[in-house]
Amino acid sequence: MKKRVLLIGGFHKTRFLAVSLIKRGYHVSAINSNMDHCVALADIKELKVFHGDGSKPFILEDANAYDTEIAIALTGRDDDNLVICELCKKKFRVKKTVALVSDPKKTEFFYRMGIDSVVCAITAIAGIIEQQALLDEIAALVPVGKGHIRIAQVPISQTAPAANKKLWELSLPSDVIVGCVLRGDKSMIPRGDTRILAGDELLLISTDEHETAAVLELTGR
Amino acid sequence: MRIFSKGKDISGRTIVVGCGRLGANLANTLSDGGGDVIIIDRNEESFRKLSSSFGGITVTGDATEMLVLERADIKKATAVISVTNNDNTNIMVAQLAKEHFGIGQVIARLYDPERDCVYREFAIDTICPAVLSTKEIDKLLGVPETEGESA
Repeated sequence: MKKRVLLIGGFHKTRFLAVSLIKRGYHVSAINSNMDHCVALADIKELKVFHGDGSKPFILEDANAYDTEIAIALTGRDDDNLVICELCKKKFRVKKTVALVSDPKKTEFFYRMGIDSVVCAITAIAGIIEQQALLDEIAALVPVGKGHIRIAQVPISQTAPAANKKLWELSLPSDVIVGCVLRGDKSMIPRGDTRILAGDELLLISTDEHETAAVLELTGR
Repeated sequence: MRIFSKGKDISGRTIVVGCGRLGANLANTLSDGGGDVIIIDRNEESFRKLSSSFGGITVTGDATEMLVLERADIKKATAVISVTNNDNTNIMVAQLAKEHFGIGQVIARLYDPERDCVYREFAIDTICPAVLSTKEIDKLLGVPETEGESA
């Protein structure tokens, strides 16, 4: 059985998500309160579009919310997204609810209200911008566990202080671990006596607050 | 100074969200009764509905934003009443007040009674104009009240 996904509100995000989810084999429906947006969304093959206010129970029922496994609220208003997800969860027994939130301070509160996944556009975008700005020292950055823990890929240059040193010779902060050393095509799990060479790339697992200090210790920047 | 602030704590501080007809009326009445009232609305013009004798504080901003609620000193409130013209806003403000700020008495006005499953499990009191009006009209028409027999 194909999984059913319901997208509520939003336009550009909904369009992009719908196409991507349909490609992966999901049954996708969308609810939108703007008629023009509905018409534009209806151009997407295999997407079922419903016109109406997605925070109203009867509209959700029309869109078969009872048979939905995942509901994603993408409207521009935090209160609408909260109510949509709560309705989906409590009235329609949707297994997984995802809400977009614009105010980062409300993320915790949304989780406490029983929403399974809360996406804050502002923190996500700020994170990406930060990653781009720090690209010299960090090649890639993956936030995990609500963004407090991050996995960073750090290239070691010729001039980096960590080059030609053994891991135990470095004074890394305690909340930081070098999880893997990528050397050419090979990768290895390092031990204290592993020597870091110029050209290596280190996978650093750290809390967001200690990352900068760790990167400075490794690359000197 | 201590004595004054103590006196205020006893009478309680009420935050009213939404300065429409109901919100403004409520704020006026509470203020006239000697209560400590803070009223929030995102539109400054709305405060014109308040009477000239209104002695409370007005806060301009969107009450669904934490910052605005904190600016209104919500933590010190004893009651929060959300009466904006948007049901979803009222639900969220009520849940924020109850669950995040731990306010004892929370009341929300809701036009659509169908969303009750969302807030039933929280101890939020709700006022639904459609239900109240129906009861009143039934009373005027002399329809006997039938309990448990709906639809």
